[in-house]
Amino acid sequence: MQTVQAIHAENLVKVYNGKVRAVDGVSFDVRPGEVFGFLGPNGAGKTTTVSMLSAGLRPTEGRAVIDGLEVNVDPEAVKRRIGVIFQEATADGDLTGRENIEVAAGCYGISAAEGRRRATALMEQMQITEAADRLAKTYSGGMRRRLELAVGLVHRPKILFLDEPTLGLDPQGRAGFWGFIQKLRSEEGLTVFVTTHYLDEADTMCNRIAIIDHGKIVATGSPGELKDKLGGDIVTLKTAPGAPDMTGVLRPLAGVYSVQSQDGTYRVKCRSGEPFVPLAVEACTRAGAGVTGVTVKRPSLDEVFLEFTGREFREEEGPTATDRAVLMQSVQSGLRGRR
Amino acid sequence: MLRELGALTRREFLKLARNPQAIFTSLLFPLLYLLLFGQGFNINPVAQVHPPPSPSEVAALLVFYFRGAPNYYSYFVAGMVGFVAVTATLFIGANVIFDKLFGVFKRTRGTPAPSAAVFGSRLIAGSAQPIALSFFVLGLALLFGHVSGLSGLDVTSSVGLIGGGEVVAAIVLLSLMFATLFLTFGILLDVPQTYFAAVNLLNLPVLLTSDALYPWGTMPTWLQNVSQYNPVSLAVNVLRETLFGGAAYPYPAGIYLFGLLAWTTVLVGIAIALVRRALRPLT
Repeated sequence: MQTVQAIHAENLVKVYNGKVRAVDGVSFDVRPGEVFGFLGPNGAGKTTTVSMLSAGLRPTEGRAVIDGLEVNVDPEAVKRRIGVIFQEATADGDLTGRENIEVAAGCYGISAAEGRRRATALMEQMQITEAADRLAKTYSGGMRRRLELAVGLVHRPKILFLDEPTLGLDPQGRAGFWGFIQKLRSEEGLTVFVTTHYLDEADTMCNRIAIIDHGKIVATGSPGELKDKLGGDIVTLKTAPGAPDMTGVLRPLAGVYSVQSQDGTYRVKCRSGEPFVPLAVEACTRAGAGVTGVTVKRPSLDEVFLEFTGREFREEEGPTATDRAVLMQSVQSGLRGRR
Repeated sequence: MLRELGALTRREFLKLARNPQAIFTSLLFPLLYLLLFGQGFNINPVAQVHPPPSPSEVAALLVFYFRGAPNYYSYFVAGMVGFVAVTATLFIGANVIFDKLFGVFKRTRGTPAPSAAVFGSRLIAGSAQPIALSFFVLGLALLFGHVSGLSGLDVTSSVGLIGGGEVVAAIVLLSLMFATLFLTFGILLDVPQTYFAAVNLLNLPVLLTSDALYPWGTMPTWLQNVSQYNPVSLAVNVLRETLFGGAAYPYPAGIYLFGLLAWTTVLVGIAIALVRRALRPLT
């Protein structure tokens, strides 16, 4: 019997204003119980994809299937099976944490008594019980994210969509948040689809990753597989002050792909770091340059990202074509008097 | 549907209860109108006539100027109820826009709560305020009648159960109608400035082409003609006819109530069509 994928996206396309293709033929599968990372630069189409998968936006073309349900056919049933933690804070600041969860429970048709019971349990689970009866606007950033998570989990979804869930949190808050997610995943078998700007999070938390750029998926695989696609390790050698240039010595060595040097530090990309290091140290010493330091590292997701998108992950960008298209559509809709 | 409606309505009332300043301000507005504008503007056309008119002439003058109310203040109080029913609904749509800006609306839309529950909860809370304020105006004006030196509402007709029911129905229908209208604006628009521009564009002409505040006898004929189809006038007619008798009106209060119901039905129908489109599950 074929296993039902938690998420199945098939040739998803979203065109704004009839001309800007924010998402351009995206296809992938997410297995049940998996943590799937969706990475991409600003305006790459991440949030638009999440909106289409979570029954918030109708695709221009293609289909999305969530836990066996067609999003276009039965969006409300899909909403009952998923939880969405939005990028921005959506909890009502004028309500207490408990009231926020209870109201959310009511929105899923859960009775008031059951809503109260679940609110108590979730606040305990998220460790915000002490603040349960405080207005949400008085919560710290980390507490607020945990409240968002509690609100998103009140109806016990099978799949959780997290759109930049730890944006703006300090490292402690990020670690705490991911601790809750991992616990939920191991205890309740939750499938998690996450977009994040923190590559270290994606590297350690995700089973598989898709990288999207200009609306198209440019790479998919586990963090290890993606790094392997870059074809090797990075060895950094530091030579003693005043030593001669070693670029010409290192480049001919076996397994070396490229050598970059700056002020006596050499960044060597090679097939495998471990056998290369003794060869390199010996070659440098023989050529009259004492080696004072060596590090070997596997390529990080930053390098994977750079390789597939051609830019640094944290490159600051102005409004993208998609941002502008969405803004213009919103303004025009407002002028037409409809959303 | 009922659980979703109940939960979202609870949220609206909790938010209202957490904002005592807004409650205080909403009470202050009609209080100032009743205490300053109404008292200061309490003209008496009968006093201007010399020699003093006979009782039948006084009655005719009151019918001509104030549609049977014994003085301007009583005439104005009935109009003030209509005025408050409109102005107290102005912010209902703005609250939706602020909820959109703060992400709260997105959260609600991310749940399977039906659009009828999203709309209905805000309509219930948004109508409750003008309805409560309308009765606050009536109660306060009656109270002023017992305070020395102040004019108050002087009810000159026997109201009865049916009359009382008609007054309540008129207030509820008028509040529902404008709450629906402004709530629809709030759901369709995304920018607060655009919303307030649209609301003012509608609010002022509606109020100023009604006979809520102007003495009927001083209005030019064209304005009287326009006014008789105005929903605020229709509601106010029901109140005045019930409180002061029907001598000045060609039709019984029930007919004006029916006219108001027709207005409400048409506008709510249009609103439902627009809101269902705007709040459909996939946009």
